[in-house]
Amino acid sequence: MADPASAPRPVPALLDSAAAEFITSGISINAAGARPGTVPSMARATGCRVAADARSVALLFASTPAAALLDDIRRSGAIAVVFSQPSTHRTLQLKGDDARIVPPAAGDAALAAAYVKIFTDGLTRLGYPGEVLRAVLAHDPGDLVAVEFTPLAAFSQTPGPGAGEPLVRA
Amino acid sequence: MRIKLDAIRECLEGVIPGNIATRAADGTPNIAYLSQAKYVDSEHVALSYQFFNTTRRNILAFPYARVSLINPLTGAHCRLSLRYLRTEEAGPLFENMKVRLAGIASHTGMSGVFRLLGADVYRVLDIEQVPGYTLPAPPPPCNLLAALRASAERLCGCGDLDSMLAEFLVCLEQFFDIRHAMVLLLDEAGERLYTVASRGYAESGVGSEIAVGDGVIGVAARERTPIRIGHFTAEYSYGRAIRESLTRRGLAGAVETEIPLPGLPESRSQLAVPIKACQRLTGVLYVESPQDLRFSYDDEDALVALAGQLGVAIRLLQQGQEGAECAEGGDQPPVGEAAVPAVPVAGAPLRVRHYAENDSVFLDGDYLIKGVAGSIFWALVRDYDGKGQQHFSNRELRLDPRIRLPDISDNLEARLILLARRLVERAAPLRIEKTGRGRFRLHVERPLSLVEIAGDGS
Repeated sequence: MADPASAPRPVPALLDSAAAEFITSGISINAAGARPGTVPSMARATGCRVAADARSVALLFASTPAAALLDDIRRSGAIAVVFSQPSTHRTLQLKGDDARIVPPAAGDAALAAAYVKIFTDGLTRLGYPGEVLRAVLAHDPGDLVAVEFTPLAAFSQTPGPGAGEPLVRA
Repeated sequence: MRIKLDAIRECLEGVIPGNIATRAADGTPNIAYLSQAKYVDSEHVALSYQFFNTTRRNILAFPYARVSLINPLTGAHCRLSLRYLRTEEAGPLFENMKVRLAGIASHTGMSGVFRLLGADVYRVLDIEQVPGYTLPAPPPPCNLLAALRASAERLCGCGDLDSMLAEFLVCLEQFFDIRHAMVLLLDEAGERLYTVASRGYAESGVGSEIAVGDGVIGVAARERTPIRIGHFTAEYSYGRAIRESLTRRGLAGAVETEIPLPGLPESRSQLAVPIKACQRLTGVLYVESPQDLRFSYDDEDALVALAGQLGVAIRLLQQGQEGAECAEGGDQPPVGEAAVPAVPVAGAPLRVRHYAENDSVFLDGDYLIKGVAGSIFWALVRDYDGKGQQHFSNRELRLDPRIRLPDISDNLEARLILLARRLVERAAPLRIEKTGRGRFRLHVERPLSLVEIAGDGS
């Protein structure tokens, strides 16, 4: 698995600006991890940012509910993240094998707070129980961690027979 | 304390979409949205299999998955560790999920995209309560156990089918706040269901029919399983089910003899529960609501229990009825019955047309009834017309060769109930009035002119 200290690998940035904008637009984010011999782990993220060169993505998690996922990430570095826009069902999955846990950056607490507001406001407009979703995503800012990874594969998962096909950049 | 699956069933309703995490053979994780998770029993859930995608490939290679679900009322978040066991591609579980998926697809604009290939059954290995904030659970709209008990007690007090069905529907409204309901019974051939009682509709629809296998009601009957959907779905709506059934039978033009099924035009929640007695299907209880997600797993449990009691009670009443008729010797009217003064018969003759082909009956050109109830009616009016007979017993009808009752223990009482109701609803100048246990009187207000249309309907 990747050594967090190693230099960035020479992979082309997988995300174009539209994809980067999509995954940071306050939509639903769920991540999974895995390591040999165990049931996969999962957690909801509370925000996302994309590096300026679009080569890496950082997800924010409240570390208490995400404990098992963080354990798996520490051990294997493998991550799958699904981003979905509830109003359109447009869904994108990213995968990486070099995920690592890093301290939150300055501004991440505000980013997470803004994420929760945009996401739950959007769902409330669609008729979902907003109060309930706010409770689900409520977290102590001191509990936040960031998980950074290099997206190595991207798949469209918008429901339908084409779901799971690799994303082809325009 | 170990969390039991029964305690988190609300999370499986799909209000807030769940996710499933799986792992490929090479260790790569995958995560996807769940279209549908269904409670199977206290240790198993079923997930819908719709496409051969990464989740599917992964689960076949490494049969362990984690599923994340959220209680839509409190925000309680749980994760289930699952082990894949098998895929069912037919049968009650599959059909149940197929109907629900149609509702979900319609609600989410995915009609035509979602198609159920299988019901994947998983054993629940453990349930984790994810640490986090939750809201207090709202009080339940009613105490279902108390409602069940009160309804069960009320049913025990009913001595005949007619009053029991009426009482049953009143109980649904009074104790369960279910305002739109109907009871359909299975016909003698086991192919069609006919409405014998309803409540909460502008037209009662008594006498209307639906084929076993058609719509939510017909699928519940065919698969002997409750079917519950929380959103409107055109695919299983009655209108469509009935149209398709007519077309299949080459009767697209025969709507004249179809009584429309009652039903809410904007039905958003539907629950059809088979009425069974000793594993034998008697009929279907159908309830609906204009609200989304009106009926919960707990409602389904309560109505399955109550429908079970209704089924047994119907069976006992049928048997008791026959026993009583035999004991009483049946045919002779009790003393005093003959002395009831004759009703004055006046006015223009009522033209009663009977088509032997399907026993359909028309009064002055208006459709009344068909099938077994039609043949009963035709026998009654012929005896009235030919012999002046006004008093009848169920027993003589059971033995009457003109009436096609293949299984005489079933349905006679129910057919008489629906015939009596149809006559009232059509404001016909004839009535069926109960005069005692297993006895009734044909009350005729106008002279009758009987017209038999033989065989081919010409």
